[in-house]
Amino acid sequence: MRILLYIAIISLGALFGYKNLVSQKIFDKMNIIQYVCLLFLLFVMGVKIGINKDVLMSFHKLGFSAVVIAAFSVAFSVLAVKIISNFIKTESKVE
Amino acid sequence: MSIHILLSVFFGIVFGYFFAPEIIIQKIDVIIDFGLCLLLFFVGIDIGKNKNIIDDVKSYGLKIFLIPIMIVLGTLFGSMTASLFLKLSLFESAAVGAGLGWYSLSAIELSKHSAELGTIAFLANVSREVIALMIIPIIAKKIGHIETIAAAGATSMDTSLPVITKATSSSISVLSFFCGVILSFLVPILVPLMMSFN
Repeated sequence: MRILLYIAIISLGALFGYKNLVSQKIFDKMNIIQYVCLLFLLFVMGVKIGINKDVLMSFHKLGFSAVVIAAFSVAFSVLAVKIISNFIKTESKVE
Repeated sequence: MSIHILLSVFFGIVFGYFFAPEIIIQKIDVIIDFGLCLLLFFVGIDIGKNKNIIDDVKSYGLKIFLIPIMIVLGTLFGSMTASLFLKLSLFESAAVGAGLGWYSLSAIELSKHSAELGTIAFLANVSREVIALMIIPIIAKKIGHIETIAAAGATSMDTSLPVITKATSSSISVLSFFCGVILSFLVPILVPLMMSFN
């Protein structure tokens, strides 16, 4: 359901963008608004993590394992995509 | 950009831990949903303004499916490698990684096995999201645009999407959303699957 909502909202935005319903002037200002909104959203997401006191308290005990798994997951998935990214890009240019 | 992102999340955590008033706690999911929808609307405008986007994305063809496949393989391989340094078994570690950044779901799923594993899943996937948000702008500059999606994992369709769009281009944001949707479908399958091998 959530995915459908996201698709609907992005499509609505795309329609606004496509039909030029947003003038360049507002669009330029929007970049700043967008950035502020983004930082605010990240702050609120942080608050949501911070509220979870029991979990955060166990960070000193389990945090190391968690961060190691996260760092390896990120590093290896970036590497895995890096291996194929040239194939994806060059092939698509040839077509 | 990365430092702003890190500071925002950090101050949020501190604020949530020490001060968060009851009224914010009650409404927090509504605030997050609203903020996310607003940002996705902006991402949509970026996409709509780029008239070549459909051709751009079409040119990738079926190869587009390789991206989420490689993200899953990389994540599983990475988290299994991590287990060599930890007290977790190979597949416990893989199951934690298989959350792909979707911390609420992976934590709930793995707390069925043990509270400790559930907590690790929560912390590991929150960490993945925070690491991704911080390094996406750096990956975009130094490594490549498509690779930003890999760092984000399942969050490439929601919380990381505005950051990816800002650091790359609107055709990458379409790819990113697509990959995020596929990865989000895979999380509820992969996490229990990894535990079944344990």
